[in-house]
Amino acid sequence: MAKLVVLQPTKQPPISLLSSSLSHFNGTKLCQIQYKRKVCQPKGALHVAASSTKKILIMGGTRFIGVFLSRLLVKEGHQVTLFTRGKAPVTQQLPGESDSDYSDFKSKILHLKGDRQDFEFVKSSLSAEGFDVVYDINGREAVEVEPILDALPNLEQFIYCSSAGVYLKSDILPHCEVDAVDPKSRHKGKLNTESLLEKSGVNWTSLRPVYIYGPLNYNPVEEWFFHRLKAGRPIPIPNSGVQITQLGHVKDLATAFVRVLGNEKASKQVFNISGEKYVTFDGLAKACAKAGGFPEPEIVHYNPKEFDFGKKKAFPFRDQHFFASVEKAKHVLGLKPEFDLVEGLTDSYNLDFGRGTYRKEADFSTDDMILNKTFALQS
Amino acid sequence: MSCLRWISYGAAAADKKKVFILNTNSGGHAVIGFYFAKELLGSGHEVTIMTVGDEGSDKMKKPPFNRFSEITSAGGKTVWGDPADVGNVVAGATFDVVLDNNGKDLDTVRPVIDWAKSSGVKHFLFISSAGIYKPTDEPPHVEGDVVKADAGHVGVEKYIAEVFGSWAVFRPQYMIGSGNNKDCEEWFFDHKNRPVPIPGSGMQLTNIAHVRDLSSMLTLAVEKPEAASCNIFNCVSNRTVTLDGMARLCAEAAGLPVEIVHYDPKAVGADAKKAFPFRNMHFYAEPRAPKDRLGWEGTTNLQDDLKERFKEYVKIGRDKKPMQFEIDDKILEALKVPVAV
Repeated sequence: MAKLVVLQPTKQPPISLLSSSLSHFNGTKLCQIQYKRKVCQPKGALHVAASSTKKILIMGGTRFIGVFLSRLLVKEGHQVTLFTRGKAPVTQQLPGESDSDYSDFKSKILHLKGDRQDFEFVKSSLSAEGFDVVYDINGREAVEVEPILDALPNLEQFIYCSSAGVYLKSDILPHCEVDAVDPKSRHKGKLNTESLLEKSGVNWTSLRPVYIYGPLNYNPVEEWFFHRLKAGRPIPIPNSGVQITQLGHVKDLATAFVRVLGNEKASKQVFNISGEKYVTFDGLAKACAKAGGFPEPEIVHYNPKEFDFGKKKAFPFRDQHFFASVEKAKHVLGLKPEFDLVEGLTDSYNLDFGRGTYRKEADFSTDDMILNKTFALQS
Repeated sequence: MSCLRWISYGAAAADKKKVFILNTNSGGHAVIGFYFAKELLGSGHEVTIMTVGDEGSDKMKKPPFNRFSEITSAGGKTVWGDPADVGNVVAGATFDVVLDNNGKDLDTVRPVIDWAKSSGVKHFLFISSAGIYKPTDEPPHVEGDVVKADAGHVGVEKYIAEVFGSWAVFRPQYMIGSGNNKDCEEWFFDHKNRPVPIPGSGMQLTNIAHVRDLSSMLTLAVEKPEAASCNIFNCVSNRTVTLDGMARLCAEAAGLPVEIVHYDPKAVGADAKKAFPFRNMHFYAEPRAPKDRLGWEGTTNLQDDLKERFKEYVKIGRDKKPMQFEIDDKILEALKVPVAV
């Protein structure tokens, strides 16, 4: 049964009420209380008819973002299908997830097994099934999206996981959605996909995350630090360590993906999605230490130009400032991340690395190159 | 229109206000009062601007004070005097709104606050400083973040909130604009055809706004008092720039190449505060509350704005002025960097 929810402006509590309950001078976050989702956004208030059950397809969904997103969508009552090759198990119980929650999810999630690079199969299988909404979480190139659009001419919404990596490097920051993009970037496939969506006439929404982190992360972001902290090793950080980056928790990203579903305000819009605060490289090392209950780390700075690391990455972040404003999502969608950095890293640590799980074995070979040279110079 | 915009809260057109500006007589903030006065007058409000000190002092020969005719010709009133004596200086006049753009500590601002309260002022605005934020590993500074408890401005902010039911505090960083009393971009323009020594990595972020953005924020606070009430506003641009980036943009505005030289102030024995006009660290606040609560939008575009600033720099003949670069020369010598003659 479809439930029609009429879009209405969210009622804001009067400012004076809120501010009088806060002391502005002891570090209490002034804005946080006004915007806490639980107070300001009753579930569904921003959706137009989104409470009606949708038939949703997620391209991917078994590795990281989709694992959390699919659960939220199933909980909302939608029929969710994951399109994957089946290399990873279709479902896995999440650390901290109750048996009953997991079995409920497992009983409801559907799987469409296939290789998205087989465009004919994508087109025919999707066309046969028919879907209302597609979430493309793992698409990289525009050609991968064409057969999906061809297969589903009546698609209500195509929601794409793009990347803030598309922005052109600049001295002026943060990256905002209106800023110039770099047609030569490593992520140009994402840009080309956004252009395709724009030209196709479909109702699309594109989210641009920065660095994503959280339990089950397969990109060694926090894991890279945790390995070194656990081993009691110094953290080698290139150059000054004041480079600024930005992390966004995967659960907040999943929430953002749900928030744009059936949302008029998200139609044909791009949104940066990440944490509200940025962080220096040195600061991130310290935050990871806090999250894992480790002592403050020894940080060693080095000049990467003095080394030849071959194909190995000595540090998991771009050696530059890289951060994006999430104000548009805040103002247009009412999105406010639940996790701040240390909270989010703690969540990741407690549910993943801290339990002894991680994706990549520790590899300290580049660290040793750096440390050997550094300490050789000092002696 | 986003349903979360606070504009709906007080969207009625501004009724005309009587505004009193207490303005500093020197320094980077002096230009704020100048722009604010003109903008208010342009919007039909009544303005009295009191400058600290004597009308005849040498300080009044510098901008923006030497352009106060722009205020009086627009109908604004200009007076001079001692903030501790403000009630007499304004000869008993009453106002709806007061902006203190002068004091940095409670001793200086208390008399103004007390006078304002007792004379029936409804809204008290204060130019504080983003410099009071405690340094952080997680920029930007956002309204509500921890401030340095011993900072003079903090004492003022506290007292204002105790005394007034309706108040707003503005925390600026750096600003550019015609009529500025303190060098900002000029330091870079002065370095044409010379290496530009920048302490540290040059990656430090700072925030440089055109003063018109600061003025528009203050004007919105006057015209939307309920939306502004009891809030802290970072009075800065909505974009940050690195120190290296600022050097590059200034050179671009001047149509010149740039050679940046990084140095460690301690290693070369230089006092970074004297050698360079910006803080040698990340100093980066974002104007989130102004956008959330006042519907304020920044217009600063450093690329365009700096071009305009350079035009004025040339127009006043500063590019021809002979200059000394003693501190620079010491730094460059320590680094063995040649300077083209």
